[in-house]
Amino acid sequence: MKIYFKSLAMHLKGELEYRVNFILSFLSQILVFFTYYFIIIALFAKFDNIKGFTMYEVLLCFSIIQFGFSMNEVFARGVDRFDRLIIRGDFDRLLLRPRNIILQVLCSDGDFVKSARVIQAIIVMIVALLHLHIEWNIMRVITLLLMLLSACIIFFGIFLLAASYCFYTVQGLEVRNVFTDGGKHMAQYPIGVFSKGFVLFFTFIIPYAFVNYYPLLYFLGKKDTIIYGLSPLLVIIYLLPCIIVFHLGMKRYSSVGS
Amino acid sequence: MSFIEVKQISKTFRVAKKKSGLKEAFKSFLKREYLDIKAVDDISFSIEKGEIVGYIGPNGAGKSTTIKILSGILNPDSGECKIAGMTPWKERVKYVKKIGVVFGQKSQLWWDIPAEDTFDLLRDIYEIPEEEYLSTKNDLIEKLNLKDIINIPVRQLSLGQRMRCEIAASLLHSPEILFLDEPTIGLDAVSKQLVRDFIKKLNKEKQTTIILTTHDMSDITTLAKRIILIGKGKVLYDGSLKKLKNMYETETYISIKTKDSLNIKKKGIISKKKNKEGYDLVINTKLISISELLTVLSHRISIEDIEILEEPIDKMIVRLYEDYQI
Amino acid sequence: MKAYYTYFKLKFITGLQYRSAAWAGISTQFFFGFVYIMVYIAFYESGGKNIPMTLSETITYLWLNQALLALVNQFTRDEELFKMVREGTISYELARPKNLYFMWFFKVLGQKLAAVTLRFFPLIIVTSLLPEPYGLGLPVSFIGFIVFLLSLTIGSLLVTALTVLYPIVTLATMSEKGIVNLMITIADILSGIVVPIPFFPLFLQKISSVLPFQYISDLPFRIYVGNIQINSCILPIIIQFIWLILLIVIGNLLMKKNLKRVVVQGG
Repeated sequence: MKIYFKSLAMHLKGELEYRVNFILSFLSQILVFFTYYFIIIALFAKFDNIKGFTMYEVLLCFSIIQFGFSMNEVFARGVDRFDRLIIRGDFDRLLLRPRNIILQVLCSDGDFVKSARVIQAIIVMIVALLHLHIEWNIMRVITLLLMLLSACIIFFGIFLLAASYCFYTVQGLEVRNVFTDGGKHMAQYPIGVFSKGFVLFFTFIIPYAFVNYYPLLYFLGKKDTIIYGLSPLLVIIYLLPCIIVFHLGMKRYSSVGS
Repeated sequence: MSFIEVKQISKTFRVAKKKSGLKEAFKSFLKREYLDIKAVDDISFSIEKGEIVGYIGPNGAGKSTTIKILSGILNPDSGECKIAGMTPWKERVKYVKKIGVVFGQKSQLWWDIPAEDTFDLLRDIYEIPEEEYLSTKNDLIEKLNLKDIINIPVRQLSLGQRMRCEIAASLLHSPEILFLDEPTIGLDAVSKQLVRDFIKKLNKEKQTTIILTTHDMSDITTLAKRIILIGKGKVLYDGSLKKLKNMYETETYISIKTKDSLNIKKKGIISKKKNKEGYDLVINTKLISISELLTVLSHRISIEDIEILEEPIDKMIVRLYEDYQI
Repeated sequence: MKAYYTYFKLKFITGLQYRSAAWAGISTQFFFGFVYIMVYIAFYESGGKNIPMTLSETITYLWLNQALLALVNQFTRDEELFKMVREGTISYELARPKNLYFMWFFKVLGQKLAAVTLRFFPLIIVTSLLPEPYGLGLPVSFIGFIVFLLSLTIGSLLVTALTVLYPIVTLATMSEKGIVNLMITIADILSGIVVPIPFFPLFLQKISSVLPFQYISDLPFRIYVGNIQINSCILPIIIQFIWLILLIVIGNLLMKKNLKRVVVQGG
C-alpha cells in the first residue's frame, strides 16, 4: 500500500510540473462534464419523467456511476491505460520487479486532472439529494455508501477485463468502450428503463443493476426490501473472476509475448 | 553445474501477414493469414559466475527474445533454464530480486521527476533495508558521477546522463546478474567510456555476472572476453573473442613508404597498390605472417616508414555474418 | 490537384486496414444506438409537452448518427497531426512544395471516409431490418433523399474543415489539452451527435443556429427524416455551404499565421 500511495504522489508531482496545463485541463474537465448532466436536464425539460423516475433521481443515479468511473480514472489509471503499458513494452519492466503485478499496474499511472470529475459527481449528487426529500435513516446511509463503493469496484473490474484483453491483442481494443463508456452511458439511467435482455445482461454478466438500480429502489423508498439495499455487496464477488482472467492473460503473455 | 545453464531453448511467434493494395486490404479485413517465425531455435549455453558475456547477432537474430526468456518475461516453448538454481519464469518474484536489467532503448525512470525519487520508490519495491540502500546508492552516485544530476527532472537530462541513472536504478538492489541490452546506444564517446569503465569495475569488485547485447563492437572488445554469436535463432559461435579474431581476422593492411619500386608476387598478398609515397598492401595473415613479409620486403627495398592496420572488428563481423548467411 | 488525390487515396487505403478497430466500432455503435433508443422510448412512453420530433423520426435520426458517426464526429483526433504540432516535426511538412492546409484536409477526409466505409454498411443493413419501433426508417421522399445526400456531402467537407482546424489552433496553444479539447467537446455536443438539436433548450438552439456545428449532421439527418420540409431547406443548405467556404478560408489564414509563429520560435 505504501508503494501505491508513494507512486500516486510521484504522479501528482509529475503532473504539477506543468502547472498551467494542469489548471487549464482541470477547468475544462469541469466544464466538459457538466454538459453531460446538462443533457439529462435538457431531456427532462421536454419529457415529464422516464418510467416513473424524476430528473433528480436520474441525476443521483448518474452521479454515482460517474463517481465510480472517475475514481478509477484517477486511482486506477494504470489499468485503464494498460494498452499503453503493453504497446510501449513497459509491462516487461513490471515483470522484472518482485511485486504483485496488479499492484504495480495500479502504481504505473495516475491522472489527477480527472479528479475534477470526481468532485463534480459529488456536487451533482449533493444537489440531487437536497431536492429528493429522502427519509434518512442509518440503512439508507449504508446503502448510499455501498452504491458509491460498488460503483468504484465494478469499473475497476471492467477496466481489469479490458486490460486482460490487451494480453491477447491491442487491436480492436475500442470494443471495451461498449463496457466502460457504454456501460457508463447506460447506467446513468436506472437499468429498469431498458428492455428485459439488457436488464438480464447487466444484472448477471456485468452487474450494473446491483450498483444503481436495486439499491436505488430501496434508497428512494420505491422498494422496502433490505436485501435490495445490500445488493451492492454482490459486486465485490464479481471482482474475483476479473482478477482470475487477468492472471490467465498474464500467463498467456509470458508464453506468447507481445 | 554452472551459474547459468540454458538447455535447448526454443520459441516460436505468430505474425500476421500484411499485403498492400485496396483489394488485399478488403480481403484481410475479413480473413488474415499468419506466419510462424522461429525466434529462438534450440539454444544452449552455460555461463559461470562473474563472467562478462557479449551476446551478439544482427537485428532480428533472437537476441532480445533470449534476454526476455533469461529474465523471466517470456517462457520458452521448450527447453530448460536454470539460473542461480531457479527457473526464471517459474519463480518470478524470487528470481527477479537477483537480476538487474537495463534496456538501452527504454527508460524505467519517471520522466517528469528527478531520478532520486525513482530510486526511493525502487527501494520500497525491492524492500531494500535502509542502511544497505544508502550505502549502495552513495556508492553508485560516486562511481557513476551522479551527484549533480539526480535532483533534476529526468526529461531535462542528456542521454548519457540518463543512461547513467538507468544503470544505477538497475543496481540499487545489488543484483547478482546484470542484463545490459544495448547500454551504449546513442551515447557520445565520453559517456560510452564512462559506462564501460563502470561495468568493468562492477564486474571486478562485486563479481556481478554480466550479459551484454550490443551492436557496438568496441563495447565487446573492451568488456567481454567471451562472445556468443546468434543468427536466425541459433548459436553460431560460442567462445573467446581472441579465437574468433584468429579465425576471422585474416586480412591486414600494410602501408609502406618507399622511394624504390616494388615487384613482388608471393602467396598471401591479396593486393598491391601504388600511391604517392609508396605502396598499400593487403595480406592474408594465414598464408603469410607480417614478419615473414617484412623480411622479404627489407631484402628488396629500403623502407622509410611502415604502418600496419588490423581489419576493423566491425568489418570482421560483417564478413562473419556473410559467411553464416545471416 | 493530383498530389492531393494521391495523398487522399493513400490515407483511404491505409484507413481500410484498421479492420479490428472497425469491428469494435460497429459493435460499440450498435450498443450505443440501442441504449439511446431505449432511453428515448422510455421517455416517449412516459409522455411530455412540446416534444419536437416523433419517436420514429428520433430513432431513424439516432441510427443515421451511429452509422455515420465515424464521419460526422469531431472527437476522433488525428493523433499524427497533433503529435507533429507537439513535437515540432511540423518543420518537415513545411519543406513539401504543396499547400499544407489542403494536404491535411485531404488526409483527414481520406481517413474519415475509410472509417465510415468500413462501418456504414453493416449498421445500415442490420438496423433497417429491425422490427418496429427499433429500426431505421426510409427517407421521407425520393427528393428528400437526394437533398439529404447533397447536404451530407457538404456536411462531410464541413466536418473535415473543422477537424483540421483543431491542430491548427494547437499550433498557437502548443498543447491540445485544456482549451482545444474543451472546444472539441462543445463542438460535438452542438453538432447534435449526443442529443438532436430540436431537444435543446430554446436559448441553446438560438446559439447553435449561428454556429457551424449543427450543419454537419443535424441538418442532413433532419432532412432525411422529414423534420425539416424540403421547401424550407434551401436556405440552411446555402448557409451550410457558406460555412464550408468560410472555414476553409479561416483555416488557411490561421495556418499561415500560426506557422509563422512556430518558425519564429524555431520549432
